[in-house]
Amino acid sequence: MKIGAPKETSRGEARVALTPESAQQLQKLGHECLIEAGAGSLAGFDDQAYRDANVTVVESTQALFDDADVVIKVREPSSEEAERLREGQTLISFFWPAQNEAMLEKCRAKGATVIAMDMVPRISRAQKMDALSSMANIAGYRAVIEAGNNFGRFFTGQVTAAGKVPPAKVLVIGAGVAGLAAIGTATSLGAVVRAFDVRPEVSEQIESMGAEFLFLDFDNAQDGSESGGYAAPSSPEFREKQLECFRAQAPDVDIVITTALIPGKPAPKLWLEDMVAAMKPGSVIVDLAAEKGGNCDLTRPDERVVSDNGVVVIGYTDFPSRMATQSSLLYATNIRHMLTDLTPEKDGVIDHNMDDDVIRGATVTHAGDITFPPPPPKVKAIGASKPKPKEKEPTAEEKKALETAAFKSQTKRQVGLLAIGGALMLLLGEVAPASFMQHFIVFVLACFIGFQVIWKVSHSLHTPLMAVTNAISGIIILGAILQIGSGSAVVTILAAISVLIATINIVGGFLVTRRMLAMFQKS
Amino acid sequence: MLSQGFVSAAAIAASVLFILSLGGLSNQEKAKRAVWYGIVGMGVAVFFTAFGPGIGGYWLMIPMIVIGAVIGARLAGKVEMTEMPQLVAALHSFVGLAAVFVAWSADLERRRVLAARAADGVMQEFSAFAALVATKAPDELTFLQIEVVLGIFIGAVTFTGSVIAFGKLAGKVDGKPRQFPGGHLLNAGAAVASLVLAVLYLSGAGFWTLLVLAALAFFIGYHLIMGIGGADMPVVVSMLNSYSGWAAAAIGFTLGNDLLIVTGALVGSSGAILSYIMCKAMNRNFVSVILGGFGTTRGPAAEIEGEQVAIDASGVASALNDADSVVIVPGYGMAVAQAQSAVSDLVRKLRAAGKEVRFAIHPVAGRLPGHMNVLLAEAKVPYDIVLEMDEINDDFASTDVVIVIGSNDIVNPAAQEDPNSPIAGMPVLKVWEAKQVFISKRGQGTGYSGIENPLFYKENSRMFYGDARESLNALLPLVD
Repeated sequence: MKIGAPKETSRGEARVALTPESAQQLQKLGHECLIEAGAGSLAGFDDQAYRDANVTVVESTQALFDDADVVIKVREPSSEEAERLREGQTLISFFWPAQNEAMLEKCRAKGATVIAMDMVPRISRAQKMDALSSMANIAGYRAVIEAGNNFGRFFTGQVTAAGKVPPAKVLVIGAGVAGLAAIGTATSLGAVVRAFDVRPEVSEQIESMGAEFLFLDFDNAQDGSESGGYAAPSSPEFREKQLECFRAQAPDVDIVITTALIPGKPAPKLWLEDMVAAMKPGSVIVDLAAEKGGNCDLTRPDERVVSDNGVVVIGYTDFPSRMATQSSLLYATNIRHMLTDLTPEKDGVIDHNMDDDVIRGATVTHAGDITFPPPPPKVKAIGASKPKPKEKEPTAEEKKALETAAFKSQTKRQVGLLAIGGALMLLLGEVAPASFMQHFIVFVLACFIGFQVIWKVSHSLHTPLMAVTNAISGIIILGAILQIGSGSAVVTILAAISVLIATINIVGGFLVTRRMLAMFQKS
Repeated sequence: MLSQGFVSAAAIAASVLFILSLGGLSNQEKAKRAVWYGIVGMGVAVFFTAFGPGIGGYWLMIPMIVIGAVIGARLAGKVEMTEMPQLVAALHSFVGLAAVFVAWSADLERRRVLAARAADGVMQEFSAFAALVATKAPDELTFLQIEVVLGIFIGAVTFTGSVIAFGKLAGKVDGKPRQFPGGHLLNAGAAVASLVLAVLYLSGAGFWTLLVLAALAFFIGYHLIMGIGGADMPVVVSMLNSYSGWAAAAIGFTLGNDLLIVTGALVGSSGAILSYIMCKAMNRNFVSVILGGFGTTRGPAAEIEGEQVAIDASGVASALNDADSVVIVPGYGMAVAQAQSAVSDLVRKLRAAGKEVRFAIHPVAGRLPGHMNVLLAEAKVPYDIVLEMDEINDDFASTDVVIVIGSNDIVNPAAQEDPNSPIAGMPVLKVWEAKQVFISKRGQGTGYSGIENPLFYKENSRMFYGDARESLNALLPLVD
């Protein structure tokens, strides 16, 4: 099959769906690759690089559409491009079928099969083709870089001869892939990062990236996650609480990165005008949801706005495209994985298997029919995880009270045990002969010493400890020695055997311990 | 002949040396000295006791000691480090058996003395232990009998228990928990019968009571340990260690020897604490471990979805080449495959490339406590990069690559996520938090506890199938 990538036509789009690297991998699947001249130039891949990778460079868009069996693209097709599709041809690109019904109908009418990269189901197996995630990852990174570009200070706190610099405080709203990527980038630049998400179960992921999770104390704790790992809209009361929390943060933070999106809905307004007004001059807001209307009241898509109090609001919608090389590499790999699944025999023949969950889910038109929306996938995305209520830090008094209570109960227990032990001793003393009690004192003290000494032994030395105690338990040999000189033949024989086996134990135990310990060495 | 005073002084010295020896094991450097304390202490104890007053039979004693020493030295020299658990278990059985013999002998001597007293004839010239018994008052003799019963019972349980533990660890006895029909009722029955026999014996019945008592205790030891699964063997070995100590202490009471009492008590309490520490590490109730069975499941375990994805050596190698921090989690499988030196080579190579490499050791990795540390030490892995669970568990989230070599249950997320799992609540190494996890494993089988491991199905897990040593050797040339 011939797989062709045309030049992207949307304004400002620098990405390309085929890289020389992915082309080589596609050729291994038995496919032939085509590219429109100059398609990769904005992403840093010139035509020669493609030619070196055995890709045929085609001069015009029309020629490419005519020649290719499978057209791969980044952005959804323009009506011009859709016009060029023919029956039996396959188009793989972002498509947004829910918002683009007219386009969907157009493609169906053309008889083309369309695979929407944005419809790849969120299951483990399909992660390698999850282009939304790979692009969101880049967007999150780039958001921090853009913020840094517009922010007049360091991210990291420093104490220098020229004065002390406080660390930048970054607030990330929405901890999806983009949010987590932003958290990771901001923390590694040295900023103090806080993050919020309506899905309490992501608190762990947030903390694992090194940010502080802003925990919302909400009684009627609503779980904001919906199947598929995306967020669901929240109730008005919850939203009120949430805004209250943000309002408290606004004067404190220097950079806000908002990434809150709800599938199929306009972006929720979370950073209101009064919050922007409360921020310090020079602060930066990066709104990654700008394309869907923005999380911030002031956001204007594709623009950099400065508020009256000097807060910069960035509403670019093309973050991945701003890093075209990186995003092309990742996107091309996503596409390549999709084609790998479509070419199960690796023989260059595409088998559009509609029984496959992933292929079925991503296909929006096929064989003259609209196949969107797909049936729910057979495999659930993520097991429903229970939100973990965060334990409240006990206050100082509570802590103290707990400690005294623990101390009291411990004292009670110890005194109780001592009393019982003492009573038992008295009883024993009543019946036992004096000689026994003398030995008994020794016994009890030895037990105590044993307990005290062993607690300190380091874990890695437990095996040597066992070997040593084993060797020492060979002390039983003394008993045999005391008896071996007996007048009775039976006793002598029993004692002799005991001496023999106890010696094996002693010598074996000590030698093995020495062998073991000789191996411990410091680097 | 040395005087009694000398012998007592030696006993004090030996006791102090033994305590120093155990205490010295608190760190690796001191430990080497600590073993010498133990050896010297034992030498002093044996020498001064043997040449103390009232000891005879040197013609038999000395050859026996020499033969025993030779056998012991050969055993210790020959054993592979991976066979350590078996050896320790086997050696415990000797102590148990010796305790039974010594206790029997003590009773035989008591009977001789009593017989002589009853004959009312001229007080015989008793030698050795019998001479001591002859000086005892009647109530002291009753206590002596109680001590004899205890010595035999504990010694006999230790003996058969250790033999079975040895068999299970060496793979000669099936590792699965197995009991006769009747289960613990049989054990309880045998214990009650032992008590009856002990009472009979105390009220003057013949020597046969002690023989039957030993037989019953042998059975209890056998049956008790047979009922405990292989995964719990570390606890069992340290528990038997404790028993052997208590047996020695009981004999010490019988013979009126303080050194035996002190040493026995030291060993007994140390073994008990070790067992306790290990049970705590597994979040298991000590009693339920001892009574066998890996707990009963409380409902169906959660279904696992997804698939195990395999990876080959070159895939692992490229991930390792890209990684900055690597954590290796070894388990029993590493011991079985004798892969420790291959692991050590890999670690050396990775460290030479400037990567941070550490080991995470779960408290119950392997088949006895500290098992992994010993193996890694044998392969010359520096011990300061070998960390225990609590030290490293929070670092997994910031680790690039985790390699799990032959461990299963100790990295099973079900312990934390699935309340119905048989190992629910057991602290485990949170390897799944790392960016990538490679699991070196022979096949798709389950671990010792026989339960599924959801880790293998996680998105960031890749299965590196094959014998651990061969896999690692295949990996080595690919890592740069």
